Amino acid sequence: MQVVDRHIQDQELLSLTDGELKPARAAAVENHLAACWVCRARRAEIEGAIADFIRLSNRSLASRVPSADGPRSLLKARLAEAVQAQSALGWFQQLRAGLWGHRLACASAVLATLSVIGLWFQGSRPGQSRLTGETAALEPKPELTPGAIRAVSLVDICGGPSDKNREVPSSVQREVFNRYGIAKARPQDYEVDYLITPELGGADDIRNLWPQPYGAKNWSASAKDQLEDRLHEMVCAGKLDLPAAQHEIATDWIGAYKKYVQNGEPAMQRSENGTVYDLAKLSLD
Amino acid sequence: MSADPADDIVAMPLAGVTGVDHRATTPVEEEVIGLFDDLRTPLFRYVLAFRLSSHDCEDVIQEVFLALFQHLQQGRSRRNLRGWIFRVAHNLALKRANSNRRSQQKQDASTFDEPADHAPNAEEQLVWNERRLRLLSVFDALPDTDRYCLRLRAEGLSYREIAEVLDISLGSVSEYLTRSLARLARADGR
Repeated sequence: MQVVDRHIQDQELLSLTDGELKPARAAAVENHLAACWVCRARRAEIEGAIADFIRLSNRSLASRVPSADGPRSLLKARLAEAVQAQSALGWFQQLRAGLWGHRLACASAVLATLSVIGLWFQGSRPGQSRLTGETAALEPKPELTPGAIRAVSLVDICGGPSDKNREVPSSVQREVFNRYGIAKARPQDYEVDYLITPELGGADDIRNLWPQPYGAKNWSASAKDQLEDRLHEMVCAGKLDLPAAQHEIATDWIGAYKKYVQNGEPAMQRSENGTVYDLAKLSLD
Repeated sequence: MSADPADDIVAMPLAGVTGVDHRATTPVEEEVIGLFDDLRTPLFRYVLAFRLSSHDCEDVIQEVFLALFQHLQQGRSRRNLRGWIFRVAHNLALKRANSNRRSQQKQDASTFDEPADHAPNAEEQLVWNERRLRLLSVFDALPDTDRYCLRLRAEGLSYREIAEVLDISLGSVSEYLTRSLARLARADGR
């Protein structure tokens, strides 16, 4: 019987297990293990610790990794924008490098100056809102936000706890702002809202998000929340088909509000914490 | 490649709407999306080791793949893109974690903590027995680099790749892994 007088260090046992030892040394360690119960037992302990760690990780982390669907769509949209931005830049650079480069540069400077003057003129007009994107964002732009839905059943929607609007990650919010041309808007002025609420099967997808101004006079995020609750209630009570509810809220949510909540503009709104307040006391700032 | 995971999301068909983007995607875009499909989940698990919120993890991963797009567009090295992606994720996650720390936005979520809206039920409580809790507390108490090493190894990175991601020597990778596993084994009475 072979005498084993020097045991293998843990570090080498782990490297062997991980396939990280050089072939000659790996062969020598394998030979030693064949003869040494102590080192074989130690290797089994190390492998046991690895197995425990992996089991623990898989079980603990699985629930913490959200679905990739929304982030994947967002990434695709951001890549498309990057490609388009690069194409535009390439076109401009080609022109600048050509025969007309100097004249175009001069023309660009003139146009830029005119733009600045124009912006100043617009900004100096009395009564002009600083939130230029606000009016346009009262209803989503269909080319940017047509709405997107998940495959859900009535049991999914009505059977469990309410699937209220989820918080939208800040990177997604920024991307929505960019797409709507309000990149410099203050995040606290807008709720990046689901067009079709998850309560009605709306998807975590950038095509289902738009910036809704908190400060809008009557048609605010709170009014839309009221509509969402009403449609959810009607769908679950069997008074309205789910596809019809999705279509109505995606195509004209203000019209749907007038149809299903009340005919006319909402006079009072409910704040995030449930307090009812008078909109007339609110300021756009 | 597997089926598109976004296939079960349906954009609402609206009359007269041209859609967001109908041009053909470029090969680089397709490559980036393919790598996102392959690596997003392992990356997410790794970035969680920095004790970031889910939203921060999502932001970091978006930035990683946008950086990858720029990297490939500029014709830079394609050698070991998986290692490159983990290295960029590591740097961005570290930056984000430091920024959070500086602004005192304390992230209470421990690496293995369940999210608040997924509190374990009675059955899960039974499963999360004393032994597992002991291992969790040992893992959580490991030095940052040890936790990163373990996580990267669990995601299948070789010692050389881990060394590149963490900017440490091969010997250190081996040493940290051995030390971490020994601590986990001791916690389990091995």
